[in-house]
Amino acid sequence: MGFEFSVITESLPALLAGAKLTWIITILGIVGGMICGILAGLGRIAGTDALGEEPHGIFKPITVAIRYLSGTYVETIRGTPIIVQAMFLYFAFPMLVKAVTDIERFRIEALTAAVITIIFNAGAYIAEIVRGSVISVNKGLLEAGMSLGISRFQLIVHVIGPIAFRRMIPPLGNQFIISLKDTSLFIVIGVGELTRQGQEIMASNFRALEIWLTVAIMYLIMTTVLAMSLRQIERKMKIF
Amino acid sequence: MSNIIELKNVCKSFGETEVLHNIDLSIQEGEVVVVIGPSGSGKSTLIRCINCLELISSGELIVDTVRIPEERGRTRQIRLEVGMVFQQFNLFPHMTALENVAFGPCKARKMNKSKATDIARNLLSKVGLAEFENKLPGQLSGGQQQRVAIARALAVSPKVLLFDEPTSALDPEMIGEVLDVMKNIAKDHGMTMVVVTHEMGFAAQVGDRLIFMDDGRIVEEGKPSEVMKNPQSERLKDFLGHVKHH
Ligand SMILES: Nc1ncnc2c1ncn2[C@@H]1O[C@H](COP(=O)(O)OP(=O)(O)O)[C@@H](O)[C@H]1O
Ligand SMILES: [Mg+2]
Repeated sequence: MGFEFSVITESLPALLAGAKLTWIITILGIVGGMICGILAGLGRIAGTDALGEEPHGIFKPITVAIRYLSGTYVETIRGTPIIVQAMFLYFAFPMLVKAVTDIERFRIEALTAAVITIIFNAGAYIAEIVRGSVISVNKGLLEAGMSLGISRFQLIVHVIGPIAFRRMIPPLGNQFIISLKDTSLFIVIGVGELTRQGQEIMASNFRALEIWLTVAIMYLIMTTVLAMSLRQIERKMKIF
Repeated sequence: MSNIIELKNVCKSFGETEVLHNIDLSIQEGEVVVVIGPSGSGKSTLIRCINCLELISSGELIVDTVRIPEERGRTRQIRLEVGMVFQQFNLFPHMTALENVAFGPCKARKMNKSKATDIARNLLSKVGLAEFENKLPGQLSGGQQQRVAIARALAVSPKVLLFDEPTSALDPEMIGEVLDVMKNIAKDHGMTMVVVTHEMGFAAQVGDRLIFMDDGRIVEEGKPSEVMKNPQSERLKDFLGHVKHH
């Protein structure tokens, strides 16, 4: 059994379909993960001087609650394997719903479970990236802005945000690539992404070399596209 | 003349340590007050309390009719009227000089962009930086950055300007250009100013009152030339000796 190029051409349509699904899950995961991550990341420092001054009155307990919730979310996700998270959402969560409500036939599509898992998983790591970058912004800039009488919200949007965002790009690139590769783990809940497609073809023709080589190259192409897009964004931003 | 700033029996603690002890201080509209004192004596904390970057722990602070702590919700009102210039400039690094100066009028005074830009251009030329309007802070010298920072503080037309050692981070040859700008503001605008500095020449020339702080207290105050000529306490004599030798 030598290297058969025809094996690759024959399996290409199925593998490309898998790659397409991998890409879709990744993009949804990255977009949702960014939203989740920005909220949780800011949530973890709500009411601290990293975002201006400490709140008073009713806002104080509210920000404490937000910090606590965001922290619990991040630590829970970081503290458990993504496979367990996917399995929990796909297999265990419907049972939990059945147990506490009367809904009998609640179930989650495998693809939906995969997208939700990757969103929440990436979100937790992105939250830490967001928190780290925001904390790293010189506090004097906030003070300068506040002494002009500008609102905290405006300062977060126009000063902290842009400066922190630029610092986030390298670690975000890391996380986006990790998330893309993590989609291969959804093989365990039967999502037909790239790794799953490769596995299925392999099981029928036993051409491990050709199939896994092609699968690896496809992943490499997708991660390269992600990395290069981030480099582009980085170049476009003002250097300071 | 009426008082624009009043501190009554103000104390400020960080955790267990009290760093300002029972400060009483009234500043009149248009007055230039220079604050001196050794490092750690509470000069920065004092002026940061005035624009509520630090909240006073006890006592009362009245700035332009707003009372702290009762009207804590109105600190933004205070900050609109009380600008601040920092030792480290703190310019927004991603904005050009012009954008830095126009940002305040735009966001704090809700001015439209073209009007804010006009004001900013005007102020930049006033501090002698008209041809630098498109430079980022990182492309400017320390003295130029500090002049932009002063223009930025002026742009929201405050009634009071606070300066926290505005020339301490500058190379010696740039100190003069910043002090000149400050002198002009005191003269032309009749601006109320509270200036923490060790530039005794500036204090003598521009200051209406000199305050010497030590260990969180106001130890001596009076007309700058007189306080400098006739220091009463040992600590001030000692301090003036150190400053002069610089
Ligand atoms: N945020 C803070 N937390 C704790 N201690 C502080 C803080 N800011 C200032 N201090 C302390 O308060 C005292 C006065 O500081 P400061 O007002 O900066 O003095 P100065 O400006 O005269 O050098 C110092 O002992 C300093 O360590
Ligand atoms: Mg100081």
